[in-house]
Parts: sequence; C-alpha cells; structure tokens
Amino acid sequence: MTAARDWRGLLFALPFLALYALILIFPLMRGVWLSLNQVDLFGDGHFVGFGNYARLLHDPVFGTSLVNTFEVTLMIVPPLTVIALFLALALNRAGKGAAIIRGIFFSSAVLSVTIVTLIWRFILAPDAGLLGEAWKTFGWQPLPFLSDEHLVLPALALTTIWWSLGFPMLLFLAGLQQIPEDMYEAAALDHSSRWTTFWRITLPSLRRTLVLVVMLQTAAQLQLFGQSQLLTAGGPSGASRTAVLFLFEAAFGRWELGYASAAAEILFLIILAVTITQYWATGRATGADGGR
Amino acid sequence: MPTVAANIRRGRLTPLGWGGLIFGALIMVAPLLWTLLLSLKNNSELVGHSGAALHGPYTFENYVAIFGNSLTTRWLLNSAIVALGQTAGVLILASLAGYAFARLEFPFRRTLFVIVLLGLAVPSQAVILPQHELFAWLHLHNSYPGLILPGLVAPFGVFFMTTYMRGIPRELDEAAMLDGASRWTIFWKVIVPLTIPAQSTLAVFTFLGAWNDYWWPLISATRSDMYTLTVGLAAAQMNYAQTSGLGYLMAQAVFASIPIFIVYIVFQKQIVRAMAGAALQ
Amino acid sequence: MASLQLTGIRKSFGATPVLDDINLTLEQREFIAFLGPSGSGKSTLLRIIAGLESADSGEVWLEGRRIDTLAPGERGIAMVFQHYALYPHMSARENMAFGLKNARVSKDEIDRRIAAAAAVLEITPLLDRKPAEMSGGQRQRVAIGRALVKEPKLFLLDEPLSNLDAALRLRTRVELAQLKQKVDAAVIMVTHDQAEAMTLADRIVVINDCEIQQVGPPMEIYSRPANSFVAQFVGSPAMSLLPATLVEGREFASLKLGDGSVVHTKVPLAGLPGGELRLGLRPEAVRVTDTKGTTKAKVDLVERLGERTLIYAHLAGGQQIIGEDEPYSQVRLGDEVQLAIDGESAHLFGPDGVAFHRADA
Repeated sequence: MTAARDWRGLLFALPFLALYALILIFPLMRGVWLSLNQVDLFGDGHFVGFGNYARLLHDPVFGTSLVNTFEVTLMIVPPLTVIALFLALALNRAGKGAAIIRGIFFSSAVLSVTIVTLIWRFILAPDAGLLGEAWKTFGWQPLPFLSDEHLVLPALALTTIWWSLGFPMLLFLAGLQQIPEDMYEAAALDHSSRWTTFWRITLPSLRRTLVLVVMLQTAAQLQLFGQSQLLTAGGPSGASRTAVLFLFEAAFGRWELGYASAAAEILFLIILAVTITQYWATGRATGADGGR
Repeated sequence: MPTVAANIRRGRLTPLGWGGLIFGALIMVAPLLWTLLLSLKNNSELVGHSGAALHGPYTFENYVAIFGNSLTTRWLLNSAIVALGQTAGVLILASLAGYAFARLEFPFRRTLFVIVLLGLAVPSQAVILPQHELFAWLHLHNSYPGLILPGLVAPFGVFFMTTYMRGIPRELDEAAMLDGASRWTIFWKVIVPLTIPAQSTLAVFTFLGAWNDYWWPLISATRSDMYTLTVGLAAAQMNYAQTSGLGYLMAQAVFASIPIFIVYIVFQKQIVRAMAGAALQ
Repeated sequence: MASLQLTGIRKSFGATPVLDDINLTLEQREFIAFLGPSGSGKSTLLRIIAGLESADSGEVWLEGRRIDTLAPGERGIAMVFQHYALYPHMSARENMAFGLKNARVSKDEIDRRIAAAAAVLEITPLLDRKPAEMSGGQRQRVAIGRALVKEPKLFLLDEPLSNLDAALRLRTRVELAQLKQKVDAAVIMVTHDQAEAMTLADRIVVINDCEIQQVGPPMEIYSRPANSFVAQFVGSPAMSLLPATLVEGREFASLKLGDGSVVHTKVPLAGLPGGELRLGLRPEAVRVTDTKGTTKAKVDLVERLGERTLIYAHLAGGQQIIGEDEPYSQVRLGDEVQLAIDGESAHLFGPDGVAFHRADA
C-alpha cells in the first residue's frame, strides 16, 4: 500500500468533509470572530474585543431571556421525562390496544413547530380556544394564558411537552426491551415486589436511556425558539423571550450581527457546559455504585 | 416460571390504569381533533365562537380553497423538493463518508472522524449567523440549493452509517477484493445493498427533520414563493387577523401535516428500530 | 515449473513479529496444508498470498509471475473464506458471477462456467437461492463454486471445515479430496486440525512461532518430526516426551529414564549432543505388560476408544507418559502398571528441540 493509494480513501469522505468545513467549521470560527467585532448590515465593522460580551452582561433583556430559557427548560424536562417513562412502562406490552395508544402518544412528535403552535394558539386563546371553551362549560372565566406574564412560560412548557413526548417515550420503550428477561425471572424467584423490582431492576437498567433523554431534552429546550416566536413573539413584555429568540431578534431584526454572535457563543458555551456536567455527574454516579 | 416473570415485568394493568392511559390519549388527540373539526367549518361561523366546531354543518370548502391558493401548493412543492433533496443528499454523503471511516485507511482518519463527531455538539443557533452571511455571499438565499445545503451537513448521518458499516463482516470486502472488485464496486455493489435498513432509517429521520425544519428556511427564504410549508404557515398565523379565517388556517395545518403523517405511518418500523439503536449506544 | 513460490516473507504487526523469513515452493496441482495452532501466523501467510495483507518484505510468485505487487483480484487466486463470505443480498448464481463480471468475462462464458461448476458441486437447484435460504453445507458448496468458476491457478481454503458439524465435516472432507482431482490448480488449506491435514494434503507445512517448522508428506511429518513442537502437535494423543540421560552405547543411543529404567533406541549415537535429552514415544510404542522389570507407572486416566485403550500415567519421577492397552483393558485409575517401552521406534530430542530419528524410519 503506497501513500498515494492511501489518499484515495479520503476521496470517499471528501464530499461530506468539504461541505462540513464550509458550512459548519468555517461558520463556527467565523462566529467567534464576529462576536469580537461590532458588525451591522453595512459591512465588516471593527474589532471591539470583548465589548459585545461586556454589553450583554449589562443588557437586562438578555439576562431576562436567559432566565426565561432556564425556567422553561426546568418546567419542561422533568415532567416530560417522568411522563414519558411512565407511559413507556405502561405501554411496554403486546397487544393492539397498547400499540394504538403508543401511536397516539407519538403522533404529535411528527408535526412541525409551526403546526404545533397553530394548533395550540387556538387552544390557549381565551376567546376562541378549546381550553377557553372547556373552561366556560364549567362556568369559569377563561385564563389569558398567552398574555399573562406568569402563565405564559407554563403555557409554552405545556405546548412543548405535548409536542415532545413521543421520542423520549420511544427511547424508554427501546430501553425496556433491552432488559434481559432473566433478571425479572430472578427477581420473581426472590419474591421481589413490583415496586422493588422497578427500583432495583428496571430503573437502574434504564439509567443510560434516562441520561440520554435528559441530556438531549435539556440541550433541545435550552434552544427553544419557535414556540416563543410564533405564539407570543416573546411577550408579554419579554416574559417569554428565550435566549435564541433574543439572538434572532438582535440578528435579523436589528442586524446587530456582532452582538447577536456574542449571545450565540454564550448560549453555545452554556449548552456545552450543562451537557458535559450532566454527562460527568451521571458518569460518576454510575461508577460509584457500579451500575450498568 | 417465565409466565409469572412476564406478568411481574409488565405488571397486569388494572382497569384504572387502562382508564388513565385512555384519558391521557384523549388529551393527546383532543388538539388534533379540534384542529380537524375547525378546518371543516365555514369561516364566518367560527368568528367569535369557535365552539361551533363541535357540531355541523361541516364542509370541505377550506380545503377546496387551499387548492385554489397557488401559494400554499407552491409551499408544499418547496417542502417536498427541500425534504427529498436533503434526504437524498444526506444518504449519499453519509454513505460515502461512512464507508471511508469504517473501511478505508487514509491519513488523519481518526482525527477527522473525531472532528465530525464533535459536530454533533454544535447547536444550529451557534452557526446560523455566519451561515446566513456565507449564503448571502454565495447568492444562495431564496434558492433550492440554499435551502437544502445546510441540512446536508449531518454529522449524525455519518456517525450512524459508519457504525452500521463497521458491523458488516470484513470478509465480504475481502471476498469482493479477490473477486477483482474496485473500491467503488465494493462500495456500490456489496456494502450499499447491505446497508438498506440503515439507509431507510436515516432517510425517514432526515425527511422528518427537513420537512419540519423552521429555523433555516425562516432565515434563508424571504420571498414568499420560496417559503416552505413551515415558514408559510408561520407567516399565515402571524397575519391571522388579515387572513380568510380560522377554518382556512386549520385546513392549511391539516393539509401540511398529511404528508408527514403518511411518512410516519408507512415508516413506523424504521423509527422504532432507530430508537432501539439509539438506546443501545 | 513451480506453482507458488514464497521467498523471504516477513511480516510484523507493530512490534509483534508474525512471520519470519518464510520460504516455500509448491508443485503444480499440489494440495498443501498449513498446519499450526491459532496465532501461529498461518492465516496471515494465507492472506499475504491472497493479497489481503502485504508482507513487510519478500516476494510471492505464481507460475512464473510475481504477484505480491498485484491487487488481490489480479493474482489468479480464489479463496474460500472460513465463514464463506457469500454476498447475502445476491443469489448463489450472482455470487458466482460477481467476480467474472468484474473480470469482464462474456455473459455466455459466465453461464457456461456456472452451469459446469454447479453440476460438479450438485448445487444446480440452489442457484437462485440467497445464502440465508441455504444450510451451512450448501453455503460452503456455493463458496467453493464461486472459487471454482474463476478457474484460478491457486485455491486458498481458510479453515474450510471448521464451521460444519461432525458428520458433515467427514463428508465434506471426502468431497474436497474428490474436488482436488478435478481442478487443475494447486490448493492451500489452512487448518489447525491435524487429522484434516493428514487426510487431504499431499504435503503439510507445519507453522509455529512465525516460522515454518517442517515441510513434508503427512507420514513423514508423523514418523520423522523435525523437532519436539511438530512431534507433539501432530498425532493424537500427543507424543510423550520424557527427560532422559544418555548412557553407554556402541552404535545406537541408550537412555536412562528418571526411574532408572534404561531404553535402547535405534537412533545413531553419532551426531547426538551430550547432556540432557528427551525421549519421544508415541502411545503405540508404550504398552501395558505383565513382565516385571520394565518401567513402572501410576495410572491417571483410562480412555477407552473401542479399538484400543489409552492409558495416561506418570512415572515415579513425575513425568507424564501415554501408552496403549488392549480394548478390554483391566487397568483402572490409580493402578500401578508395568509399561513395555518399544525403544526401536523412539525419537530423541536435543536441548534445543531438534529431533533425531532411527536412520531407516
């Protein structure tokens, strides 16, 4: 095998690698550079060092958007994970009925964010929404979910949970299928109760799936954008503006490209840090009690 | 004993349990049914009183109107072109690169593979601004290549195909080498046919992702005739006040979801299998 | 003209040497077995000949043409893989045609060759089946067929019988022997099973520790093993090797065993190294006897094979020895037995393992 022949292997990977370099690596670098410059719509601007970052630190709108992002992520990920896990446990059985219900719980996951918000806009709207109509039948006053500062994030979370249940549920179902039957047989021979079996066998065996679901969902929800942009445009008075919506507005509304880039870099680092921390923490926990 | 164990594992679901599940399922479908009912109503009937959707008369007039609206059908066409183009592109690029990483020896192979894997951790918002700038330089905004290209950079696809191809016995490559097959023949005649299950799984996920993508077309397609369905419907719901009404809007939503539901129903198996694969990793 | 010629083949994986200076020449139409334990380098040598690995140095020639610089497909070699490596998505016919299509053989010629090979191998009814729809034995025939249609100058068989059950293995062994009569090519078979090598091969190449230990016809390997490794690897059960010291002798060597008994061999004294030697005895050279004054041993295991009984025992000095007794042996575990050693068929091994045999064996 000569060196020249070796290089031929690269030819197969080259189409992908070329696009990868152009459309991902280069923009990633360029983004860092942009964040260090004051750039607007009219040309390349000038170098400001960490000026954009300093400005972000003192920008209450950005601060609020980060807080909103964390809040909505915390409102979504734990309930989503728990509901998906219990659905998977309940639906991990043969039979037509379970199959149909699985299909129903997954069906919303194939919709685009536009459709989801379109549907939920007319559920949450106090005057013409489904929830409003239902409320009225009980004789209650419909709640203004999308225009109340305290209700808007829970409303976005509810919409997102409804939308996102399918994939975590499928992941848990797949995880359950991987647990060897003989572990349950051994537990049965030991007269283990159903509750004990769940805590001692099912949950530890699902640990890797659980970590995967939490990591993927956290990273996804920290980038929550469409729901907020489409349902409320960040309102009322910024109460539902997420970090990605902030950078979207800065970039494509006000064309402050450098400023928006700095916000993007900060969010990128936050997501990376959170993901790595989750991975590291669960790795340690798993190592400590010798789990699977 | 296996029957006992199976019972404990699955736990016999009580009628209460079934009741809970069915109730949950109803809550899940209620929004979908609500949308469907709204789409079947005359627009003026719904003004100020959406509860009218719960009873007749129902009509297909909103759907008929969609076919009269060239823009919505144009968005459907755009979505189809972008989603199919991205799916084909990802399959080709990921298969080629996967084969290289799984089977061929070339300088920096490991390093390059790690760099590709690191791409999995880059959220799209971190690169969207420079991407927008790049595509502006290339004059690719408001074009099909401009809508398709960013979706082709899918590190997951490469990772997925590499893993799958590593599972194919190397003896097959060697047999083909002794059969006088070139690298390309081995790839095309031996490896690719054996990756069809993986190809179909990757195709379904790429298609779903591309069809539902909102982020990039929102930024890249600024002319309404180049909108995809997601962006078009977003614009429509923002301009709700000026549009022809709630029923029509919901008919558009249903119309836009039909292709994806068909894909979902036809390819359920691939989706479930891919999940099983992900859970294993 | 020689068929295959290997000269000075060396190969190492990183710092681990795998093959060290391999030289070998095959005659036309010869059936050769590479015999050795796993990890001996025999499979690597086969893969170097096929072109699936490249040697660090050395040359491979096939019928007067140097082939180690050629791609595997251009060497005129066909290989049957251990797990057959049939293309799962192709029918038997397509599997057999694949290599011919790559070589741009005409369609008519491909059809003719497949029909002929299928007839010889009796797989005509299987031609349109996929590998998943065949039994293990059928797959192997298709794999052989795929090699056959290429009309190669050299066949390589990698552990061809290891994936078959015992009954099928015997039948396939017979078929391989018949096949050999029909093909006009040399055959190399890699195996770790000495019985396979003994029955099929014209010559056996024993490989161990990166080197060729011995090359020769099966009975020569058995009766005149070149060294203690070959002596112990070929033959079942293995030859017993007993430490012994040379005592007085005129023409032939006599040796004293650990328990003091003396064995008179027919190995010429001339050329023997001094000092510690080992006496090599096949089981058939050690028989249980009633005669007193022979070697005494304690029985560890009695293995009844039907036509004979094998006695595993140890001498007073602790050395292991394997002997034979009649089918209805009365010997039991733990018995003390007298062993009559047939010194005339014994072998001697020097401290470095090199063997010395009686002159006419």
